[in-house]
Amino acid sequence: MIAIETTDLIKKFKNKVVVDSLNFKINKGELFSLLGVNGAGKTTIIKMISTLILPTSGKIVIDGKDSLKDQMSIKEIINISPQETSVALNLTVMENLKFMAGVYQIKNSKEKIYEIIKLFNLEEVLNQKTKTLSGGWQRKLSIALALINDPKILFLDEPTLGLDVIARKELWQVINELKGKITIILTTHYMEEAENLSDRVGIMAKGQLIEVGTPEELIKRSGAKTFEDAFVSFATGGVK
Amino acid sequence: MRTINFANRNFKETIRDPLSIIFSILLPLFLLFIFQQFKIPNEVYKLENFTPGIVIFSFSFITLFTAALVAKDRTTSFLIRLGTSPMKSMEYILGYTLSVLPLIVIQNMLFFTVAIILGLNFSINVILTMLVSIPISILFIMIGILIGSVTTEKGSSGLSSVIVQLVAFTSGMYFSAAMVGNFFQIICDILPFQSCVNITKGILNGNYQNMLNSSITVIIYIIIVSIITIIVFKKKMTSDNK
Repeated sequence: MIAIETTDLIKKFKNKVVVDSLNFKINKGELFSLLGVNGAGKTTIIKMISTLILPTSGKIVIDGKDSLKDQMSIKEIINISPQETSVALNLTVMENLKFMAGVYQIKNSKEKIYEIIKLFNLEEVLNQKTKTLSGGWQRKLSIALALINDPKILFLDEPTLGLDVIARKELWQVINELKGKITIILTTHYMEEAENLSDRVGIMAKGQLIEVGTPEELIKRSGAKTFEDAFVSFATGGVK
Repeated sequence: MRTINFANRNFKETIRDPLSIIFSILLPLFLLFIFQQFKIPNEVYKLENFTPGIVIFSFSFITLFTAALVAKDRTTSFLIRLGTSPMKSMEYILGYTLSVLPLIVIQNMLFFTVAIILGLNFSINVILTMLVSIPISILFIMIGILIGSVTTEKGSSGLSSVIVQLVAFTSGMYFSAAMVGNFFQIICDILPFQSCVNITKGILNGNYQNMLNSSITVIIYIIIVSIITIIVFKKKMTSDNK
């Protein structure tokens, strides 16, 4: 079953091609990581698939729906944890959860909020204003908020950026628990993260998807010893 | 419902910032009180003339805080998160607008209560002035959303301060525009702030002469600024995501 399919997807900003003829499929329940150096086009792809910006040309089908024709129904089944934590800073953790439940008009909001609190162990910070939380807690909350509408597709844009090792590992555990239940598209600069979490990895360079495969397949294909070396090799054009 | 939900969040964000309370309520209250202690022999400073000026002046701080909130939401990617949700542009704009209205009502009630304590005669005109000031406040909220749509949080404070200054100097709350000269008078006539004060002052004093011109000016400004704000906000919601 295909969750996301792009066909000849192009995005230009003025005359600059940021995403170039992108064709790929992501399976339902898969965790697909997009890797690439800065400016490779990862975030632009996420923004197109998550309906934030329109493609210049090409087609995106999400859960069988055309992203241009069925934008509103797609918005109901996706969610995003953006690069910056983007939570309401003067609101408490609980108020943030209630607010997002209101945004998605969740019917059984009390049960859903309780379920998320349990999943992310938010009890101890529930009544704390989010601006007083540590970076790790803010990231956790950011992902928690993105699950409020039970999304079929979740976008995690650099979810562990700037976190210490312990906070990062805690978030990996949460992401691992979501694997298989939700289709996840993750962007990251941490190779270890992509290798540990991903079912498949797509490597981007200059707006093009140059390689797709499991971490093991990519290592094998590149002839490198580690996943990081494999990425560097592909991203710099070392492997033809 | 989404609009109310968003307005509720915006209201909490605003009132939990102590500076917004200090500037939008306490500072105008202080000015209202202190200028009455000076006993300045000028019509402008009589309670029935100065209180409506203070009401409009306090709205300029509403512009400041609305702009800061919108700019902060944009620059912290909060609107990116909401951009993937089913919320529509009009729900954002209405949510920002509605969230400030309780603050406007609180401001009005406090200003007029203090003015009555200081000697303003209570009449039905006080209630009417409070009611009429609510649609006038839409202009200031829209200016705030517009500024917040095109600036960063820091930039929004700078630009909003210009509005605060313009209201102080061109609304006629501190001095009559005619005192300064023809050119200044023309600027005051072109800008909407003097008209805002004229309307509230006219209603409070039961003097409806010259109200028509001021009302037309303010209504035209509200319509034009609202249209520009909606267009710019919608455009920025997309272009911020590039």
